[in-house]
Order: sequence, then structure tokens, then C-alpha cells
Amino acid sequence: MSSIRLDNLVKRFGDFAALKTMDLEIADGEFMALLGPSGCGKSTTMNMVAGMEEPSEGRILFGGRDMAGVPMGRRGVGFVFQNYAIFTHMTVRQNLAYGPRMRGAPKSEVERRVAAVADLLQLGPLLERRADRLSVNILQRIAIGRSAILEPAIFLLDEPLSNVDAAFRAVMRTELKHLQRQFRQTMVYVTHDQLEAMTMADRIAVMDHGVLQQVGTPLDVYNNPANVFVARFIGAPGMNLLPGRPAEGDRGLVVDLGPLGASPPLPDRLAAAARRHGGPLLYGFRPEALELGRPGLALPVTFVERIGARAVVHFGDGATAVKGVFANDVGLAVGETVTLRPDRGSVRLFDAASGRALAGEG
Amino acid sequence: MAEIAFRNVTKRFGDTLAVDDASFTVADNEFFCFFGPPLSGKSTILRLILGLETPDAGEILIGGRPVNGVGPAARNIAMVFQNLALFPHMTAADNVRFPLVERRLPEAEIAGRLAAVAEKLHIGHILHKPPAQLSGGERQRVAIARALVRDPAAYLMDDPISALDARLREETRVELKRIQRELGRTLVYVTHDQEEAMSVADRMAILEGGRIRQVGAPAEVYDRPASVTVARLLGSPMMNILRSATSEAGLEAAGGAIRIAGASVPSTVAEIGVRPEDVRVDPWRDGLAGRPARVFEVEPLGGYTVVTLDAGEARLRALLRGQPDIRPEALVALSCEPARVHYFAAGGSALGHGNGR
Repeated sequence: MSSIRLDNLVKRFGDFAALKTMDLEIADGEFMALLGPSGCGKSTTMNMVAGMEEPSEGRILFGGRDMAGVPMGRRGVGFVFQNYAIFTHMTVRQNLAYGPRMRGAPKSEVERRVAAVADLLQLGPLLERRADRLSVNILQRIAIGRSAILEPAIFLLDEPLSNVDAAFRAVMRTELKHLQRQFRQTMVYVTHDQLEAMTMADRIAVMDHGVLQQVGTPLDVYNNPANVFVARFIGAPGMNLLPGRPAEGDRGLVVDLGPLGASPPLPDRLAAAARRHGGPLLYGFRPEALELGRPGLALPVTFVERIGARAVVHFGDGATAVKGVFANDVGLAVGETVTLRPDRGSVRLFDAASGRALAGEG
Repeated sequence: MAEIAFRNVTKRFGDTLAVDDASFTVADNEFFCFFGPPLSGKSTILRLILGLETPDAGEILIGGRPVNGVGPAARNIAMVFQNLALFPHMTAADNVRFPLVERRLPEAEIAGRLAAVAEKLHIGHILHKPPAQLSGGERQRVAIARALVRDPAAYLMDDPISALDARLREETRVELKRIQRELGRTLVYVTHDQEEAMSVADRMAILEGGRIRQVGAPAEVYDRPASVTVARLLGSPMMNILRSATSEAGLEAAGGAIRIAGASVPSTVAEIGVRPEDVRVDPWRDGLAGRPARVFEVEPLGGYTVVTLDAGEARLRALLRGQPDIRPEALVALSCEPARVHYFAAGGSALGHGNGR
């Protein structure tokens, strides 16, 4: 059993609480991403799971067994860092074989495993090359291979793709996800890049300032963020959030958005939640979920970024700034005023004071 | 006039050809990007413009004047350094004044220039603050003010925001573009990030292996790449490049999973290119023409979904809008509009794009 349970986990460094109480269950065979900006506590959490740091409070359990006092080497975890540790004077084959050889695996077994891992990571043609002649991309593949070859039940990866180039990163994302889906190791993946977490993980634990903000599947955290931090952090660009107050409109409850006028009528469940709430709100919707030219918010186009397949269009300014993502042939120009209507199903409301989502989502 | 032109410029370092026969013209007031992978020669071009390197062959002109023998100080070009470093112990005002104080300009002139540049960049109200009390965007404006206070003909930036995290980069690049538009000054900008280049550039040069592979507006280069190399450097996920064969029905690729009907196919085509956003994915049904593709992985981005597919010998990607219900291992039918197909010759050069685009 390779499930992981974090039970009231706390880590303090002197007066500074790097992690303020974390509870999390990671199922056997699950791909869990720990996601957040720098300083959110994700690497601290990972280091405690690996056994590199001792918790200040709380417990870490692997398959029900308390890991307190169990050193890193006995936890049965494979670890891949941002800065790959590769023996540069050795060939790729020697690097891959190093771990199993040190553990006294028979020669035939070592060869079999090297061949299998090299095949999976497409290192076969490079096996006899010296590591110091290889690109950063290949080195990171070898680092993953060196960990994978020990067939750990739990695989920990800390920002393993942040040093490789963008095109290769996209390829590695797909391959890592595919590998994990085939072999069903428990995988914990630390990243600050929401794109990596979204594309690879079964579930994402979003963290900020040492506090777990939300745990859910990628589409959960995208579609139904628990608070404004998650709403802004997930997505590129993040969710649009406009300040307003609930108000009665001609065709049902709306949000009065001040200078932007009234929002389109809210769907029933959101309307009920907004009525109960009564006070200042943030009216949220995704940049990808905007219809042009339907009655809605009238805003001037202030900037257009055509980025490959997409056009990111900036509307308005300051507190009424809104971003929209459209196909690259959308044909909007700076200066024209358009009307935007958020897709009915995509609208979310948040309490302006606490930032928490109002019930009634999805 | 701050037009910058290279005429057949070559620069070697020992045996390495860093810049190979480069010719281009950056127009006055243009936001011009050099984009390419590491070691493609983009930073060397910047150093050649600044005068920190001397070309082995060819001519460099600034404002129409040859500057091959002119030193960096006399070229009147300012460099905004990587990560927009400011002196942390000085106020914003002292940071901006620094280049003028260093040149021992009279105090009255320094004050005048500071006021002028502060007004241009809207930083008058923050001049008294040290950098630690400024937001990322404000720091950026102060760093640019420090470069501009000398009143250069053009300013250069070498990967200025690469150290910022993703969210801040998105905001900062828009800010940079706005500043450049307000100032109306020539800006030469180097980046290894294709998204950043496409977002900010009026025009861009794509470099690879020391050679300029194409120059054009971002949309033009993205829609009509001159070669497979350029096609693959722009766009994420990158363009699918597929070996193709002509059949009686038209053209086939990816083991028959993609079929292009139509008479406008160039006869010497060896490979076709299809952008992920132009690949259409439908459920496979018996009786469909061609062959199915198998779904390898599905990656949700929220607003979009990337689907990686195996078809014949080929692995390709589709970028679909929204959150479609597609599962790994499913069999699917692929298609794409003939107007969205790019045609390449055996050597990789483009033969044409869709319906003559």
C-alpha cells in the first residue's frame, strides 16, 4: 500500500510557520500535484514526505504506517529534483544502472531494467554516450530514469521540468502523465506552474502562504474554485473578478457592477445564494467563457495580444479590467467598444470580504 | 531617426559561426523582437548593435550611418539589463538620475530631464520610494526611465522578464508594450519565449543556428512560416509535421488518418503541417473513410484541452476548445480544413499554405 496521509502537519522554522496545518490524503496510485507560488509551503511539505525535514507537529503515514523517525533511504521513495544529479563522467547506461547495482541487483536484472527504462524514456540510442556531452533536456530524462529504475512505490518530483525548454516541457508533460497512468505509482509533483498541474495531475492541492486552499481534480479547481486565490491562480489568464452587489433586476437577480451597470440575470442557484448573502460580492467568469456581441457588459478594447492560436483581448482598465480569450481570428481592434456576455454556466460569485466562493456553483 | 540595419553581418567566435550573414532593418519606433532557442545568435546580434562586438564581415547602420568603427558610448543606444536591476539603497529618483550624475551633467539639466522622463513614464508620484516599496510594474517603469533619461535613439532589452513567475510575466509584457507605444521609441527586444515574442512584437526575426530564418509580423510568421524550422518554433503545442503521400483522392498523412482532398496540393510536397488548433477530432464510426487515430493522452487546460494522438507512425496533437469528453485509448476520426494545411518540400522549405494563403 502506497497511500500517503498528512495528518495535521505543521512546519515552523523559528518563528516562521512555513506550513500551517496541512491535512491531505493521497490515494495509492494517484498523481497529486502540490501547486502554489513560491513560499506557499509546497516544497516544505514535499521535503517532509521525503524525510529530508522533520515535521514540527503532526504525522505522515505511508499506507497507514507512521514515518516518524524513518530515514529517507528507508521510505521507499524515488526523488527527482529541479537540478538533476547526474554523474557526468559516466555514460547514460552507467548512470541508469548505478542505483540497482549499488543495491546488489544481479547483472542480468540490471540490464533488463536499464533496457526497459531506456525504452520508456527514449534514451535507447544514447545509452553509450557520456553524460557531459548531452543537453539539459536529456539530462532531466536521465534523472527521471535513474529514479524510475528503482521502481519506487512513491515517486516525488520537485519542479523537474523548470530548467528544460518550453517545447520539450510539453512533450515531457504528456510522457510523464502517460508513464504514471501505465504504472500507477503514487506520484507527488511539486510545481508553481498551473499548466503542469492541470495537464498531468489526477488531483491538485492548491497552496498559498502555508495554507491548503483547495484539493480537487484539475477541472474541479478550474470550474469551481473555492476562493479568489484559486480562481486567479488557475487558468491563463486567471478568472475575471468584478466588484459588485446583488440587486433586483427586471428579469431576476443581477449583480450591480457599479460603472459597468448590471450583470446579466444570475442562474437560479446563484441568485438564491446571492440573495442570502446580500452584501458586497465579486462577480467571476473565465476569459474563455465570453460571448461577444450579446447584450451584457459594454467595454472598450484596450489591448489585443495575438498569441498563436489564441487572442487574449484586454477590455477596460483598473477595477473594471476584463480579459477575454478568443480564437486568433476574432478581429477586435483597440478603441472599439463591444458587449460581452459571460456564459451563464460559467459565472461564479465570491464574498468580497473573505474571498470565499458562494455556494451554488456548477 | 533610429533605424537599425544589418547588411550581411557575420560574427565568428573561434570556429563557431555565431551570426551568419544577417540582414535586416528595424524601422524607427518599431518594437522588434529577436526570438530563437538558446545559442541561436540573438544575444550576439544585440551586442553587435550596442558595439560590444565587432562584426567579422558586413555593415551595421544606425540612423543610416555606418557604425562599424564607432564605440558603444558614441552609438547613443541604451541597454535595459536583464531583470531590470535597480540599486536597492537608492530612491527611484536617484536610480533614474544615476547615469546623468555619472556623466557630471549640471544639476539643473539633471532635474529637467528627470522631470521629463518621469512625466512620460507616469512615475512622478513614486520617485521618492526605494525599489523595495514598488510593485513589479513600477520597478519596470523606473528601470526604463533610467535607460531613457540619456535620451537614446533606441533601447535594447535582453530577456528582461525571464526571471519573473508566469502570472507576472503575462502582466509585465503587456505593460512593456504599452510603455513602448506611449514613448514611440525604437525597441529591440530579445527573448527565448515564443509567447512573449508574439505578444509584444510589431515584427520579429526568428533565429536558429546563427541564421535569420524569417522576418515578419507575428501573425504573418505564424500563419505563413517559411520553413518547418520556423513552423515548429512558434505555437504551443507546436505544429504537427506529418509525412505525406499523394493518392488518387488527394493527399494522405498519419497512416491515412488525415486525408486532404483538393487540387491545390503542390506536386513536390513531402510533409504537411497542421496546427493543433486546426485538427478536428470526432468519435470514430464504422463506415468512415480513412483510418482512425488512437488517443494517447488527454490534458485539460480548463478553457482548452490538448489531445495527443497516435496515427500510423505519427504522433500528433489537437488543441480543442472547452472540456470535451475524450478518454485515452479511444478511437477517433481526424480531419482538417484544406485551407488550414501548410505544405513543405523535402528540405523543409514551405511550398504554400492552404488556399494560397
